[in-house]
Amino acid sequence: MKNKRNFLHMRYPVLLLALSLFVFTGCDEKNDEEVIPGSVLMEFNLTWNGDACAIGDVQNDHLDHPLRIDNLQMYLAPVEMRNDRGEWVEIKDVALLDFGVHGQKITAAAEIGIYDGLRFGMGLPPEINTDIDPASYANDHPLSVPGSAGMFWTWASGYVFVKYEGKFAETTGSQLLEPLSYHCGTDESYRSVTFNFEEAIAVESQEVQAFSLSFNAAAALTGPDDSVDIVQDPVTHNAQGTILGARLMDLMDDAWTLNPL
Amino acid sequence: MGIWYSHITLGLLLVICLTGCERCNPDPCDPPCETLATPYTLEIPPFFPPMDIPSDNPLTEEGIELGRLLFWEKSLSADGSMSCGSCHMPSAGFAEPNVYSTGITGAQGTRNAMAIVNLGWASSYFWDGRGTSLEEQILEPVSHPDEMALPWDEAVQRLQEMPTAENNIDYPSRFEHAFETSVVSAELVTKAIAQFLRTMISADSKFDQWRRGETSLTDMEFAGYEMFIREGGDPEITPGGQFGGDCFHCHSEAGLQFSDYLFRNNGLDSAFTSDPGLAGVTGNTLDSGRFKTPTLRNVALTAPYMHDGRFQTLEDVIDHYDSGGLPSSTVDPFMKYNSGGLMLSDVQKERLIAFMHTLTDTAFISDPRFQDPH
Repeated sequence: MKNKRNFLHMRYPVLLLALSLFVFTGCDEKNDEEVIPGSVLMEFNLTWNGDACAIGDVQNDHLDHPLRIDNLQMYLAPVEMRNDRGEWVEIKDVALLDFGVHGQKITAAAEIGIYDGLRFGMGLPPEINTDIDPASYANDHPLSVPGSAGMFWTWASGYVFVKYEGKFAETTGSQLLEPLSYHCGTDESYRSVTFNFEEAIAVESQEVQAFSLSFNAAAALTGPDDSVDIVQDPVTHNAQGTILGARLMDLMDDAWTLNPL
Repeated sequence: MGIWYSHITLGLLLVICLTGCERCNPDPCDPPCETLATPYTLEIPPFFPPMDIPSDNPLTEEGIELGRLLFWEKSLSADGSMSCGSCHMPSAGFAEPNVYSTGITGAQGTRNAMAIVNLGWASSYFWDGRGTSLEEQILEPVSHPDEMALPWDEAVQRLQEMPTAENNIDYPSRFEHAFETSVVSAELVTKAIAQFLRTMISADSKFDQWRRGETSLTDMEFAGYEMFIREGGDPEITPGGQFGGDCFHCHSEAGLQFSDYLFRNNGLDSAFTSDPGLAGVTGNTLDSGRFKTPTLRNVALTAPYMHDGRFQTLEDVIDHYDSGGLPSSTVDPFMKYNSGGLMLSDVQKERLIAFMHTLTDTAFISDPRFQDPH
């Protein structure tokens, strides 16, 4: 009996210690000091030579053809920022912009730090463009079957990087009946857009660092080095190897503006 | 005293352990446990995307079976003569073989009833997309005056009062088993039918079997498939044109859905006063004449075609696309209305149609799980 009592006396401290350890260490989700990152908000605006415009507006292009853009969508992948060590840090793997939906934006968590540049791919890098089954993604992913609706060609030719569609007329005053259908894609058409910030920015814990980017839809048709005549070249599906899609991607590469922070 | 102190301390610690650390004890009902009915595991066919099932309407054996009973329940029409299945006939690929459906009053609709197939992957419902969920879509036909014409409160009351001398199904008991309440409601009726419809999956056509490596396509069928996924138009006129059928852009092969479920004006008309399509829902003139792209699954069974059933045969449909359609301010840029159409030969048209027949799934339309149980 005495031995048993002694045993109990010995056992309780061990149990108490074990339980105490469990209570105070077993729920580390609550007790760890978490480093809460900041976030980045990128807002996207559509312009026509600097003026705000919207899908459905009628504009005149550089050759004075009245043009209405009915659909403008594009993949951006990846979106990265350059930290103060000169490393590009991914903040978003893939995003699909649809300028037909008001208020296009990307929000993403970002590591705390100093950044002096922004870069994004226009289109999809080869490793996620072809030979991938859209059905393998969760339905809320931009490359999934519903997420890529209208932006997927075939498994072999991959995704449409940029869809720029509308109607135009050859002369002012005419009804807009001619179809404009620029579907740009293929690995060779993948482009990268880079901005260097005039002043480095700081992403701080739980703070939102906001940017605004403008896409000039007029500059998608004309630039310093090239111009596209929509009457002569109203269509491209450059998965079939036409060069118009690549020309358009080059033009669109220069159509972006990072608005002053 | 020491032992009692230890007992109390130990007890307190146990209480803390078992109650104080919520994050360590995740709620077993997260997502919420809606029902104690038997969960039903939906088998997603190869190459299909995941199906998003609403968290407030999980599939259950009892819910699906109740949905099947309700889908075929003629008591949900005012005069007891029509069920959902009256306009979605198995022999017609669960579509309406007539141009327009005739309701119980003799009134006709204005659009051809769409095929019920693989609806669990659709993102909107009806030709004009006004239904944003399957459950919401089901609400409409029962009470629509030109369809089943039964106000929902009466429909609910009828089900609540069963079994009767005319109908021996004990619906309150069925609802109890499916939803843990014997109180029938319109919401639960739509949930049950939606569960049933989500199980109506067609994935065993000849094309599916070919994709799974289980069979071969004939030369004609394979040539048609190549036409299907080839760009349309004369490359001299349409850059990138390949004299193909140009079908795949809208009837996308992604996820083997054969539709991207988007809305398009495919050049049937030049004016849209009689039926504005999507514009009637959005109010946006850019949506005039735009209708939902239907799946091509079982397309050989689902005549007539288009939102208004204007084409009786697949040949008529191919001829329309071959023509390029009619110009308008909203016609889809895929249509070759200003570049001479697709310029398909008769042989090419035959190939396309041969391919479309490979999308017929006879196992689906004759599946006993989907037939009238009454």
